[in-house]
Amino acid sequence: MDMIIAGLLDSIAPASLMFVFIGVAVGVLIGAIPGINGPMAIALFIPVTYYMSPLTAIGFLVGLNKGAFFGGAVSAVLLRTPGTPEAAATSWDGYPLTQQGKGEKALRMALYSSVAGDFISTVVLIVIAAPLAAVALFMGPPEIFALISLALTVIAGIGTSSICRGLMAAGFGILVGLIGTEPVTALPRLTFDIYQLGSGLSLIPVAIGLLAFSEIILQLEKFTSKLGGQHAANVFSSNREDRLLSFKEFFSNIKTLLRGSMIGIGVGAMPGLGAPVASFMSYDQAMKRSKKKEEFGKGSLEGIGASESANSAVVGASLIPLFVLGIPGNLAVAMLMGAFMIHGMQPGPLMFQENAQLMYGIYGSLVIASLFLLLIGRFGLRFFCKAVDIPALILYPIVVFTCIMGAYLGKSSMFDVSVMLVFGFIGYFMRKFDFSYVAFLIGFILAPEWERALQQVVIISEHDTFMFFQRPVAMTLMGLTFFVIVRTFWKGIKDGKVKQVEAAAAAAGQHKGD
Amino acid sequence: MLTWAIPTYTPDYPGYGASPALVANVSVSVMLFMACLSLVRIGLALYMKKPIPAEESEFPEDMEEDSGFTQVGRVNLHHLALFMVPCVLLVVAIDYIGYVPAAFAFLMILQFAIGSRKWIQSTVVAVVLVAVLYVVMRYGFGVPIPGPQLF
Repeated sequence: MDMIIAGLLDSIAPASLMFVFIGVAVGVLIGAIPGINGPMAIALFIPVTYYMSPLTAIGFLVGLNKGAFFGGAVSAVLLRTPGTPEAAATSWDGYPLTQQGKGEKALRMALYSSVAGDFISTVVLIVIAAPLAAVALFMGPPEIFALISLALTVIAGIGTSSICRGLMAAGFGILVGLIGTEPVTALPRLTFDIYQLGSGLSLIPVAIGLLAFSEIILQLEKFTSKLGGQHAANVFSSNREDRLLSFKEFFSNIKTLLRGSMIGIGVGAMPGLGAPVASFMSYDQAMKRSKKKEEFGKGSLEGIGASESANSAVVGASLIPLFVLGIPGNLAVAMLMGAFMIHGMQPGPLMFQENAQLMYGIYGSLVIASLFLLLIGRFGLRFFCKAVDIPALILYPIVVFTCIMGAYLGKSSMFDVSVMLVFGFIGYFMRKFDFSYVAFLIGFILAPEWERALQQVVIISEHDTFMFFQRPVAMTLMGLTFFVIVRTFWKGIKDGKVKQVEAAAAAAGQHKGD
Repeated sequence: MLTWAIPTYTPDYPGYGASPALVANVSVSVMLFMACLSLVRIGLALYMKKPIPAEESEFPEDMEEDSGFTQVGRVNLHHLALFMVPCVLLVVAIDYIGYVPAAFAFLMILQFAIGSRKWIQSTVVAVVLVAVLYVVMRYGFGVPIPGPQLF
């Protein structure tokens, strides 16, 4: 109990409150800018957190992530250009409302739904993470090895249409993660005699290069091809009813919000699915169950509520696998995991024993971030709407230079800037050729832990390869890994056949028409 | 990787635990196997005169639907060079002429490269950004500024 009180008191210390506030405000601002999303923002700001205490740093980054989730809705509603992928469903109903002059009402609905979903998932995280972590403590190296193998396999399917490319990217990430000092012999491995690689590649330059820098190269490519240049439509009507969201309007959608939050929690707690899945799933369910189906896609507040409550509920829930098992379920959480490690903590069930006070402090910061999101969104809405109109010619140089100096800031090393440029270059090609940079980054982050678990298994079992068969949980997890691979390949082949049949039918139809 | 980089730059097996090369070999083998599998699928499709599976297409923008997180499309090498060359020059120049002039020149070149022709706006952006980051790094975080210092 003392730990809980001490942790909560830490979270309301002035420095902690201030950085959570700044994190949420910056997150909303960044999320509102099309093309910049939460993981990118976290990657850019991790170097800054080097100079903060662990609680302040994690509170700041969590606030940033929460803010960015709502911020994504701003450009989705105003421009029909989702600032983040999970806000795509929000744009379907948000933008039509903006065209009707009800943009502010749509944004208010998005804000309140976001806060509701986020708050509910934070409560669920607080209630279930610690008991589940206590169970997870019984897991030994074989289970951890099997679990990471399963997570890598599931995550290999994210962000790419091909499981082959996903696994290649994960393999590449693991290989890059192995660079540095080998844990058993303590000798350099894959360093190519470059002494700066002796301690391995830092997460910061790799993440900034892959997430932010390569994205900006692509954004600039689009921009210079004259594809950009949208401006916000009429957002703020002079009519009070068009601007404000009444209690009745909000509470008439409460069922949808609760359902969306539950979907978000379920999806967020499972590694590999992510917020866009939750958002689309919730929107689909809301549309199927709604009494006003015909309004969906034309400016339905219920549609906005469904999408936003679900995607924001993912934020808290996605921390469950991280806190319970030490496995990042999505990119934003992988970045947070990196931040934990930079601050000397290994996410996982042991955190509740080794850093109990900090954990309760983080819980406090999560709740405070939800409240700040409500306040900042409520009173700063008009200001954040201006963010979507920042000229690209000013924005992009700022982001590029921030990437470069952010990479430098971590270790005060220009070598890290070079690493960032190399991974920006690699990231550009990965995106162009549809290789999953998500799988790469998660492979890179999990590689040392995966290898450590493997080494422990081999040493404990004295090279007995049948050790997995004596551990039912490990065996089940390895079985699941195998099942996921086979199922994904089978599905790929089946889908490919369907597409071929469709293509042949379309070609035949065209031939007849000629 | 399997025949040169991993054997050359990996420590010898110490006699206990798993070999230091094991995970590296496994990850490269997975990459190799998956690449071969993709090639086999493409080869089979070509041999049987069927369309190449969309997910194995060299340029997946040929697929009808976007795959979510990725932004697929053909590589624009001219744009890539236009963007990367100033960045590489910045890294080299910063060691010789120092942070302030190198960063200022970099930002001016970058803005010109992406199409900004408003010189006053470009200069203001470059000066303000260089100054803000200088102050934040030097006085905010106490980080040494890269390269030789003018002041």
